[in-house]
Amino acid sequence: MTRKPFILRNPSVLLMLAVLAVFTAAVTLMSQAYGSGAVPTSMVKVLGKTLCLALAAVAMDLVWGYIGILSLGQMAFFALGGYMIGQWLMYARTEAIVAASLAQAPIPPTPLELQEATASQIFGVVGSSDLPMVWSFAHSLPLQLLLVVAVPGLLALVFGWLAFRSRVNGVYLSILTQAMTLALALWLFQNDSGFRGNNGLSGLQNIPGLDGVSQARLSIWFLWASAAALGLGYVLIAWLVGGKFGSVIRAIRDDETRVRFLGYPVEGFKLVVFTLAAMITAVAGALYYPQAGIINPAELAPIASIYLAVWVAIGGRGRLYGAVIGAVFVSLLSSWFTGGRAPDLALPGYVVKWVDWWQVALGLSFVLVTLFAPRGIAGFFDLFTRRKESGS
Amino acid sequence: MTSSLRAQSLIALALMLLVSALPAQANPELEALIATNMDQIERPSRRTVGPLIKQIAATGPEGKAMLAAWTDRRLGLTDDGRVVIVAGDDMADAATGEAVAGADPKMLRPNSGVRGLIDSALVAGQISDPDRKIRVQALDSIARSGSEEHLAALRNAPPDPDPALQARKERLETLLTIQYDGDPQARIAALKEMSGDVGLDFRAVLNPLLATRRVAATEAPGDANIARELKPGSDELSRDAAYELLKSQELAQPRLTLAAQRDILIANIADGRVGGIPVTDLGDPQARDRAYEALEAAGTVTPAATEAEAQEAIDRHRYYEIYAEPNPDVTEAAKSAQTRAQVRLAAMKGIDLGLDALSFASIYFLAAIGLAVTFGVMRVINMAHGEFIMMGAYTGYVVQTLIPDRTLSLIVALPAAFAVTFAAGVALERLVIRHLAKRPLETLLATFGVSIALQQIAKNVFGTQARPLTAPEWLEGAITFNDVISISTIRAAIFVLALLFLGLFLFIMKRTRLGLEVRAVTQNPGMAASMGINPDRIAMLTFGLGSGIAGIAGVAIGLFAKVTSELGQDYIVQSFMTVVVGGVGNIWGTLAGAGLIGALSKIIESLNPSNTLAAQTFMILFIIIFIQFRPRGIIPQKGRAAEA
Amino acid sequence: MSALLEVSGVSVSFDGFRAIDNLSFSIGPAELRAVIGPNGAGKTTFMDIITGKTRPDAGEVLWGEYSRSLLKMNEAQIARAGIGRKFQRPTVFEDQSVADNLTMALRANRNPFSVLGWRASPSSDQRVTELAAEVGLAEQVNRKAGELSHGQKQWLEIGMLLAQEPRLLLVDEPAAGMTLAEREQTTTLLRRLAETHAVVVVEHDMDFVRRLNCKVTVLHQGSVLAEGSLDHVTRNPQVIEVYLGR
Repeated sequence: MTRKPFILRNPSVLLMLAVLAVFTAAVTLMSQAYGSGAVPTSMVKVLGKTLCLALAAVAMDLVWGYIGILSLGQMAFFALGGYMIGQWLMYARTEAIVAASLAQAPIPPTPLELQEATASQIFGVVGSSDLPMVWSFAHSLPLQLLLVVAVPGLLALVFGWLAFRSRVNGVYLSILTQAMTLALALWLFQNDSGFRGNNGLSGLQNIPGLDGVSQARLSIWFLWASAAALGLGYVLIAWLVGGKFGSVIRAIRDDETRVRFLGYPVEGFKLVVFTLAAMITAVAGALYYPQAGIINPAELAPIASIYLAVWVAIGGRGRLYGAVIGAVFVSLLSSWFTGGRAPDLALPGYVVKWVDWWQVALGLSFVLVTLFAPRGIAGFFDLFTRRKESGS
Repeated sequence: MTSSLRAQSLIALALMLLVSALPAQANPELEALIATNMDQIERPSRRTVGPLIKQIAATGPEGKAMLAAWTDRRLGLTDDGRVVIVAGDDMADAATGEAVAGADPKMLRPNSGVRGLIDSALVAGQISDPDRKIRVQALDSIARSGSEEHLAALRNAPPDPDPALQARKERLETLLTIQYDGDPQARIAALKEMSGDVGLDFRAVLNPLLATRRVAATEAPGDANIARELKPGSDELSRDAAYELLKSQELAQPRLTLAAQRDILIANIADGRVGGIPVTDLGDPQARDRAYEALEAAGTVTPAATEAEAQEAIDRHRYYEIYAEPNPDVTEAAKSAQTRAQVRLAAMKGIDLGLDALSFASIYFLAAIGLAVTFGVMRVINMAHGEFIMMGAYTGYVVQTLIPDRTLSLIVALPAAFAVTFAAGVALERLVIRHLAKRPLETLLATFGVSIALQQIAKNVFGTQARPLTAPEWLEGAITFNDVISISTIRAAIFVLALLFLGLFLFIMKRTRLGLEVRAVTQNPGMAASMGINPDRIAMLTFGLGSGIAGIAGVAIGLFAKVTSELGQDYIVQSFMTVVVGGVGNIWGTLAGAGLIGALSKIIESLNPSNTLAAQTFMILFIIIFIQFRPRGIIPQKGRAAEA
Repeated sequence: MSALLEVSGVSVSFDGFRAIDNLSFSIGPAELRAVIGPNGAGKTTFMDIITGKTRPDAGEVLWGEYSRSLLKMNEAQIARAGIGRKFQRPTVFEDQSVADNLTMALRANRNPFSVLGWRASPSSDQRVTELAAEVGLAEQVNRKAGELSHGQKQWLEIGMLLAQEPRLLLVDEPAAGMTLAEREQTTTLLRRLAETHAVVVVEHDMDFVRRLNCKVTVLHQGSVLAEGSLDHVTRNPQVIEVYLGR
């Protein structure tokens, strides 16, 4: 039993990193900012966002595919990450605009005046002009970056601690995570929660201090950042599940009672995995929403988290590359079909408009995948590799 | 608002009928009165017109008709000095009843004071009118806008032959006594008599009696009826509010706000400096203060109240709440009457809240029972359950478009919805769930796939806009017990429906072969199978039954909510919560869960009525915490089977 | 010799059914004990109570030199305190290799962060190889546990139990599904273990119990019916009635 370095023991990780690098380089070379311009900026943004979704899917695979918690609340962490970075983006940018306009005034503004004017600019839409407590750190990028992981991490820690210690599991746990997401969404929907109610945070595509940089360039930068985050997250999680830790959490998924009798504190493992996944998901969200430009509480709808589970299931649970494939494949396919670009399907007597029927097809295909291909798309790779093994 | 308008026009209509029903008769007495008092009629004065009105009223029906027309602004004055009653295009002489043609009368527009007098005079007659309808209208009119004149009229009126009307009359008299009687002792007696009453009319009378205003003074105002003294800085009176009060009574100068300071500084910019300080430095609040002080020192601006002065002024004064009503005994009596009314009101509100909670609970129970059954027996969560509720509601809508009679369509819709969703449930069980036995998480996701597909199909077929499912007329309105306690008939009917289903369900489970087999499969599927029970068949029937009930719940919900493709989503989470809180595998658990969730959502809502979103958030948080203490619900499944 | 485990006056009911009724039991630090009894005598529930899966309604369970109460600990803490359990039906992690199964059971810090930092070392690899050899699975270390035969899974689970290095081993029907030769091997192993460990064997098979040649505790209706050598208890008229009378 010789031990090779981690990367060499996991050729799939190397392959994934290589594919990611080639993809990023190719998009860069075809972009409007740095290359031929074959890929329009809007497409670059879609691809960048897709990478973020893939990272969220990999984290989902960690909690569901590896430790067996079907969390229907991952998008809550994703959106919280977006909200945290959005606070800084919106505050800093609004402050710059307000400062510019107040500079025209006869006397320069005091810091308090500047803050009040900024607050009334941001919160006028919900009929308020005070800066809520939750925006106390919005002026500082490092603090908000800290909050990107700290807030979702803390939420996951508290919720997980409560849920795991009372040994809620299986479908109960799924429903409870869904309830948590719904509670958070409803809270954010309120005007007085301090996050601008259903207006959400907007104008996030404009990065304060980078006004001179075109969106074409920014989109590529974000693509790089997203690719780097996905690569790092992928390696981190692959490393995590590759060793004894991975062995234990898979054992928890298969038979948590037995793992307890081996002396492992099952709740502790669940809490570590759940919290870590929440933080990774939050980072994905923090990179996603500046590319999307807007975030509002509708992003936390329970259905969004279920979609994440759907991607992982279609891609193949318990395999990290399966999660990436599922997220990329289904989200790109979805945006193609719902974007109105897919040609209508003319059946005798009825024309299937994909804008209307894609959702139906997705729902049914999901039933079919669960029934007939429980290992998802990645399961086909297994068939292939297994045949090779038995052939040799 | 609308009701009072309607009542007014009713009175007018009744009076018109009265007038036209009578044969046009000459009334010499009235004719004489009109002739001698022409000036008063043309330009009536509130202070002097009273006797004239009484005299006119005393002349008989013609006089009353004239008064009615007068207050309705239908009385006109012709050029030749005749008073005419105008009704549409027709005119008639008020005194003689003769039709008048071709005249162009000048319409009289008495002011509201005069009209009040006329109304009172009319009402005084009406409350002793032989026609019961007119007496009722008169009392309605007094209840709406009572006056001092009405009080006298009520006191002088003979007892009403109808006991109900007599009671009402006495109540009105007491209420008017509280408001208008000159003798404080009479008012206090009336207040004591009404004490603890929770009628809206009584509360409306109490409110102005107990209305207060705030004043600031250096010492207690001796002549005023003081409700209480307020301390500045308390919850009732913040120090800022106290200062505002002082400002409004001109007892203190306005404080210098930051905005005002800024404006003054801007107004005094000279050569890029204010008070010797460069403008560019004025981004610093301390620099601004220095600049302002410099201006003050130079005498350019008036000194504004400083913070210390303001605080001193606040402390120097005392603050009182003063009743508008001068007599302290009256306010004392009113206060105790109000306290008693509030206590009773709180109790009644509690009962009303309970009724609301009960109706919520019935809805959650209907929505969740199917879910609980399938989860209890088969250990699967059906995410498409909400869509089955939606299918039931749409079935009701479709049936209603086919059968126009609403009662009949409802009677058809209930079994139809059951049949449709039963079939859908059986199909789902046979095609999907059976193949995912022992894989509850996969089942959850597969049924979720079904859920989004069904939702989109509903959207494609019925469109995105809400479809109406109208309740029959006998279900409209509300069952009202008094001013506070009432429940809408639909909700009461849903409560009855929930009770019916509870009974039906208990009957099936405890008294039928199917129930026996279901219980056997729930407790020990292996053993049940070895005894010749087909678990597959039981699973299929249970699933069908649970889905069928969801369909019926859909019809019930559709009757008061809008039928849209998202209807199911609105109820699914609450249904899940009901099941989780109640515990699975036991109908009483579901009932307890529904009761708890229903009561809880009503209580949280009543504590914070402005914010239903916050209410829902708190509710979900409560449930998450509840699970900490009872992870298996209120009524858990017992025995070793539950630990597996 | 003071007792390693001391169970006294323990009772537990499920829905009014008394599964364990005022049961007392004790075992020394190096002792082999067979627990027998008809179906429903409470053998499995007895093990559940010791390992923390079931909380008793009354009674006390004390462990070790310092007489710590096991009732205040959860399953994982009890396992870490040194009580290992082998289940009746072999429960190994079928998705993972024999080596992974054994590695997971190896005595080491169970804290999540320690596990995260755990690295295979030559000594751990050697220990896994030894254990695999001891339970006759040397050839199978890299195969998935799910691919093993029923008997091999039994052996793997015994290997995992050994890897935990517990002071008390609770072994539920170890001989089920084993060949005669394997039974012989199991008997030898258990007797050897009992020289340094406390071993409780729950068994139906009287023949197997006879081979163990140890003190026997007979459970009936949730309490101890008889205790002593096998010959002694089989002569007990009550025991005869329980086993043969129905």
